Amino acid sequence: MLLALSVLIFLLLRLTPGDPIDAYIDPNIPMSPEQLAELRSQLGLDRPLPVQYLAWLQQAITGNLGFSIKRQDQPVLDLVLSRIGPTVLLMGSALVIAIIAGIATGVISATRRNSPVDLSFSVFALVGISSPAFLSALIGLYVFAVRLGWAPSGGMLTPGAEFSIGDLLHHLILPAALLSIAQAALIMRYMRSSLLEVLNQDYVRTARAKGVKEFWVIAKHALRNALLPVVTVIGSTIGLAIGGAIFIESVFNWPGMGLLLVNAVETRDYPIIMGATLIIGACVIVVNLLTDITYAVIDPRIKVG
Amino acid sequence: MLARTPSHSPGPMARAFHRFGHNKAALFGVCIILPMLAMILSYPLWWTFKPNDIDLLAMNSGPTATHWFGTDGVGRDVFVRVLEGGRISLLVAVASTIISAIIGFLVGAISALAGRWADAVTMRFVDLVMTLPPVIFLLVLASIAGTGIGPTVLVISLLSWPLLSRMIRSRLLELRERDFVLASRGMGAGLGHLLFRHGLPNSIDILVVYATLQIANAILLEAGLSFLGLGIAPPAASWGNMLNAARSTAVLEQFPWQWLFPGGALVLAVLAINFIGDGLRDAFDPRAELN
Amino acid sequence: MKLRMMASALALSAALIGGVTLVPPATQAATLSGGFDVGPGGFQGNFNPLAATAGFTWLSVYFEPLVTYDEKLQKVVGVLADSYEVSPDQMTYTFKLADAKWHDGKPFTSKDAKFTMGLAMDAKSGSVLAARLKAVSSVEAPDNHTLIVKLGAPSASTLDTMTKVMMLPEHALSSIPADQLAKNAWWSTSPIGTGPFKFTKYVTDQYVELAANTDYRGGKPALERVINRYFANPAAAIAALRAGEIQFTYVDSNDVSTFKGDEAFKVIEGDSFVVNYLGFNHESPIWKDPRVRKAVMYAINRDAIIKSLYAGAAKPANCAYVADQLVPQGIDPYAYDPEKAKQLLDEAGWSQINGDKPITLLTYYTTPLATNVLAAVQAMLSQVGINVVPRAVDTPTYNSIVLNPKPDVAQFQLVYAGLQNGPDAGSINVGLNEKQIPPAGPNVVRARMPELNKALDAALAEPDAAKRDGHYQDVCKVMNSDLPWATLWVANRYGVVSSKVKDFIWTPAPGGGPYQAHPEKWSLGE
Repeated sequence: MLLALSVLIFLLLRLTPGDPIDAYIDPNIPMSPEQLAELRSQLGLDRPLPVQYLAWLQQAITGNLGFSIKRQDQPVLDLVLSRIGPTVLLMGSALVIAIIAGIATGVISATRRNSPVDLSFSVFALVGISSPAFLSALIGLYVFAVRLGWAPSGGMLTPGAEFSIGDLLHHLILPAALLSIAQAALIMRYMRSSLLEVLNQDYVRTARAKGVKEFWVIAKHALRNALLPVVTVIGSTIGLAIGGAIFIESVFNWPGMGLLLVNAVETRDYPIIMGATLIIGACVIVVNLLTDITYAVIDPRIKVG
Repeated sequence: MLARTPSHSPGPMARAFHRFGHNKAALFGVCIILPMLAMILSYPLWWTFKPNDIDLLAMNSGPTATHWFGTDGVGRDVFVRVLEGGRISLLVAVASTIISAIIGFLVGAISALAGRWADAVTMRFVDLVMTLPPVIFLLVLASIAGTGIGPTVLVISLLSWPLLSRMIRSRLLELRERDFVLASRGMGAGLGHLLFRHGLPNSIDILVVYATLQIANAILLEAGLSFLGLGIAPPAASWGNMLNAARSTAVLEQFPWQWLFPGGALVLAVLAINFIGDGLRDAFDPRAELN
Repeated sequence: MKLRMMASALALSAALIGGVTLVPPATQAATLSGGFDVGPGGFQGNFNPLAATAGFTWLSVYFEPLVTYDEKLQKVVGVLADSYEVSPDQMTYTFKLADAKWHDGKPFTSKDAKFTMGLAMDAKSGSVLAARLKAVSSVEAPDNHTLIVKLGAPSASTLDTMTKVMMLPEHALSSIPADQLAKNAWWSTSPIGTGPFKFTKYVTDQYVELAANTDYRGGKPALERVINRYFANPAAAIAALRAGEIQFTYVDSNDVSTFKGDEAFKVIEGDSFVVNYLGFNHESPIWKDPRVRKAVMYAINRDAIIKSLYAGAAKPANCAYVADQLVPQGIDPYAYDPEKAKQLLDEAGWSQINGDKPITLLTYYTTPLATNVLAAVQAMLSQVGINVVPRAVDTPTYNSIVLNPKPDVAQFQLVYAGLQNGPDAGSINVGLNEKQIPPAGPNVVRARMPELNKALDAALAEPDAAKRDGHYQDVCKVMNSDLPWATLWVANRYGVVSSKVKDFIWTPAPGGGPYQAHPEKWSLGE
């Protein structure tokens, strides 16, 4: 799987116009063609593609993902690993906020279908889904950091200050909340529609007919079954959240994978893109596996294949 | 033999239509989207400005009687650009949604219903596509495909289908274990029969919810593409690239009409489409209660 | 709800990995934070001055060159060289070195200077200056305080290049082979220079912190620390500036209005020394007829664009230069005249040459301002019947298209770009001289104009400064009449600094300078 991914990324990257040297050239500082050729051959960019790939693979198997092209003193593995913590922290916090908010509002909406509460939650969810991540990030930044001064405008820690949890949380809360909006809205909508679906099933009606209290009908019978499609959505939003995280990270300067990748793409830093993609890919595979396992836990009829 | 149904009972389509007609939110959605569509399609007939007419003497002017939504950084009329942008954004969104829904349904359904081998292969392929970081994927696809409407549709469709196919698969996996599917399989039903007689009706709600959300999503992806300098390239208007004006602090703060109106149009359209989608879901659901 | 538990566990463990210490933030005494690498002159994440194509504003806070520009970018003055002399034939440069110490206390000598020149001239070290120092035939250090640089052929840009050669310590770097130098972690962990501040730490992609070098030969710095924060885009830097987290950043010109009239900030305005132009791809047959190129000049209302989009902060350029001493009398001002443009196009037979077929206008500028400029240019050109379609791409894509030795003409019949035209007027040579056509250099428009080549070569080889200006006037004249580019304007660029900061010197120099910024004098008031 990872092998296939690495081949795919490798090929896609080479189809992208421009290479690391193109990204580096400044027309105001001319370099001789010999010098450019020298740089390209130092980086191995002049060899045939299969050879380049195999050379990369040979190193990668031993855990050596090479060196960044832009920052030649930085091993890719170190760079990527140092970004996992911040990204997991940001996305994890956003996911927790999104799941709690999404499921709670989804259940409330479904049980009070077409009530004003349902309507306002739905509208809020739709507005949340329909604002582009970069726009809500820019507006959130402007309102909360610039105008109100409640949160810092970016970064993960105050520069020059000693590390403290409070400082970290202070920097974390705004980007995490903004990142969670779209996810929460998505989870809420699926939770609502899936719970409505389940509430129409025979066994729910049976439970109601037996005189089980409405709260327990939902909590014990309906919720568990309704969660099934929602879990898929949560699993897949993690993949998608990386996309949103890229915008949030670049607006808030959060030192995560997203920022690393965007910078790497801008400079065509192939080793970084390869390494980061591979590690993100591995994470997504693990998450998908966990999603499948969670299914089996929720719905015993499904065997994990 | 069952007794023949009395002739005065309405058919399923009529019932669905009837139910849809009773859904206030859905009707509200229709009431928003129809006038919007009418304005978007007919504006050249009744509005004086053209989307690419610049007027450097009247730039960054707020809403006035001549320019209802004000003007942008080179004095173009924001109102007409919102309408023109609507044309392009909706075209991109609808086209890419249809393509990705077809791909997503087929892949998901085949994966669930065509047996273990097909399931393993297709789901690994879905995983592969989903593990690609979207930005790289977008950048590469878009830089190979170029900018403009066609390539943008292509890029968005190719990026969006895996989510749907996973949801379809999870729904149909559950369905696969149901008695009526087991029965029709036992009677030797082919894959086509399973897909369209059992798969499609049972995933219509997912498809509709997906389609409505995906239209919104496609508009947003288009905006994201524009943010990265791909997608619909200015000076052509789209809601996405108009929103990009908010990147500039001065515009965000001092000329809010330049992003509020396209943003508002975008949210309103998405909202309306979602209401309609919800209404459709309730109306077409064969298991929905007649209440 | 396993997922929720898992997610919170992940979040918690991430927080724990970060290392838990509950210490309140230290007081921020006399620390100046800024976005020194924001904008076109910055180069975030580069620590190696040999590899720097920009970012000298920041690098020169802790490294120093032998000579640098004054803050007006008008003349070259000594830094680590107390004084310098150029022989009358322009072939020998003698630098008298100052009494300076490296940050680790060791003395700076001519051996270090010679060592640094060796690295800068060696392409293997990753030096981007190697091609520009090709004229250097020898570097000698007759005594500890003298460095003599001899040229094989006169080269007017030698001093300009010398300002970018940051002195490096031989005792710290001599043990590393040149081809391994760029890969060494020294640059971002423990670099030492001779400047007023010394490197303390780099937090990846967040900030670089410097502390005062109390032994600095120019006096103890007023600030205790200087922090260079990294921002992914200018909007984020502006947010941080307005939130009071940083005291200085570069600001895009269309965001300047946000700060005008605000007592808490000072706006610094300066010449960008970058000329913006529409470059005709001379390999495309549609621009062959000079009347077509003239029509483009007449069709664009540059004054209106400057007045509205640049808020007046740009000078129209009728050749690559706008400085008085470089622009001869009597050149054509190409005043806006759409009727004349249409007439010229008719005479040239534009409807046969291209008609209204779309012409790709390629650019690497993706700022909101550039988008507006291109929209205006497109509208103005379409009025006379030239249908251009702007296409903005990222820099690597742009370079891969225009620098391709066998370019696809359809992809860039026209470019919107900028090229440095100062402080060394010779900088534009690379964009226009026939010898610089890719792959040899960045003459991306493939200009093949013998008269222009002659004028440029004459200027570059001229040892006498006053006569050199005369040659550049010839360059200007040829550009104005033959139009290798449709030159547009030279715009101003801006920085915004908090009013609390005193004695701050910054100028939007191309590539970030370097120039004499005297960081040791910067201070923070209340």
